[in-house]
Amino acid sequence: MKSARATSTKSRGSRRKEAGPKPCLVTSAATETKAGSDSYAWIGGLLQAGDSFYPTGSYAHSFGLEGLAQAGVVRDQASLGKFLFLSALPALRRSDLPLAAHAWRALEAPDWNRVGEISVLSSSLKTASEARAAASNIGRQRAELAASLHAHPLAREYLRRASATDWPFSPPVSAALEGRVLGAPLSAVLAGVYYASVASLLAAAMKLLRLGQNGCQTLLTTAMRQSAADIAAAMDTPFEEIGWFNPWLDIAAARHETADGRLFIS
Amino acid sequence: MTAFSGHLSLRAAARADGRTVLAGQSFRAPYHLSKPYWDADAQTLLVQVVNPTAGILSGDRFESDIAVGKDAALLVTTPSASRVFKMKDGTAECRQHFTVAAGGWLEVMPEPLVPHRGCHYRQATHIAVEPGGGLFFADLLMPGRVAHGEAWAWEKLCLEIDVRLGSELILRERFEQTGVELEALAELAGSGPAACFGNAVLIAAETGEDQAWRDAVAALHGNGLWVGVSPLRRGGWSIKFVAENGMRLRSGLRAVRQALSMRFPRLTCDPRKL
Repeated sequence: MKSARATSTKSRGSRRKEAGPKPCLVTSAATETKAGSDSYAWIGGLLQAGDSFYPTGSYAHSFGLEGLAQAGVVRDQASLGKFLFLSALPALRRSDLPLAAHAWRALEAPDWNRVGEISVLSSSLKTASEARAAASNIGRQRAELAASLHAHPLAREYLRRASATDWPFSPPVSAALEGRVLGAPLSAVLAGVYYASVASLLAAAMKLLRLGQNGCQTLLTTAMRQSAADIAAAMDTPFEEIGWFNPWLDIAAARHETADGRLFIS
Repeated sequence: MTAFSGHLSLRAAARADGRTVLAGQSFRAPYHLSKPYWDADAQTLLVQVVNPTAGILSGDRFESDIAVGKDAALLVTTPSASRVFKMKDGTAECRQHFTVAAGGWLEVMPEPLVPHRGCHYRQATHIAVEPGGGLFFADLLMPGRVAHGEAWAWEKLCLEIDVRLGSELILRERFEQTGVELEALAELAGSGPAACFGNAVLIAAETGEDQAWRDAVAALHGNGLWVGVSPLRRGGWSIKFVAENGMRLRSGLRAVRQALSMRFPRLTCDPRKL
């Protein structure tokens, strides 16, 4: 049964879209007085999709970090923190999160041409082939899981069209697809992308650097404090303004392709 | 102060004898063209685009459209750096379009962009190459007037590039960092306070001979120069380089062109010939 709350959440989301989104999951949940089980089902789904236990294959990737570690740029907690706040989070804010936001909106109707355009843009923004392949593999796995675990027609149709038109798979698009399949609001989907991206990076860092769990959790906590602002900025980013520039990361990722030894695929 | 609305249109075509000529050209100040030079060894027509004014000022708008036809080969360069001056108010913008037909070759290699303190500039580059066409595009960026102790001080700088092969987008890059953001990244990477950037795109059909030049380009990495080369989604490569200063940037680009010329002999055309 669809609860009154589900309807309420939807209309609130629509108002946000018109008036300028202000993501605030806590407020949204706190104002609800009767918790219908259906209306919160997406929370469990997003937690599942963002968990390291979820088989997306992201554990095999460092997303360029290993290349920077090999170059001596990222070598300890301090330099990792700088990389996180100077590069990884801005890249999320200006690239992956806006891509996911645009994909989530495009999947509402759905507007398949727009979904295809976003998928191609997502791939075209990655100049290093390893980073692109990593994104493609993770995106494909996420989309296939969304289809197989939830048997959802939207996910199945996305896979059919992606195969028919040779769309590159994209983690942000797949995250948006998961969100639509689960019925999650946009801000929650973006928060999930934010957490999973930072957590994956820090998990890779623990294998590359002398870094303890507490050190990683400190960085993760600090990063999550700015997530609301980053998500709000990403939701307002026009399609043509998506993109981020870190030539050192791109170069390190390119050089990682031919590195003599490596722990991660990317 | 008068603002310019510059316009440049070039159309390169191959004559029956194989030489490339400018079959069409039009331009409006501040653009000006040098007399084209046919490099018989490189089989490439060299054209210098000159901006005889001091540089780019508030209110300036530039639009260029350069097309290379089947079997034609063109190198477009500039004789000096493009300075973008301080703007108390207003902005400047440059929109450039490059198209290459199947069998054509275009090299675009302007001197570096130098953003001065307080400038507000946007440059949008659109490249479309038909399958079978070739292109080498190299964009260089300095952090500012380093010799004057001024760097990373632009007000707003937005550099965009998209590359299509046929009708498909294969590369999109967007730079819109503040000077503070980029300076901090340069410090983290150890590239120093005068780090300069080179962003090159090579479009060509892949062959079994590509590994040699890729290895040669990758081997340039070190001694104050970061270099990386990686395949694009389709039909080409991204070549990025970061240097600790402007001289190293230029020497790095020369070395990249030299390494590439073993496979793409048109890159032996000397852009400083004129």
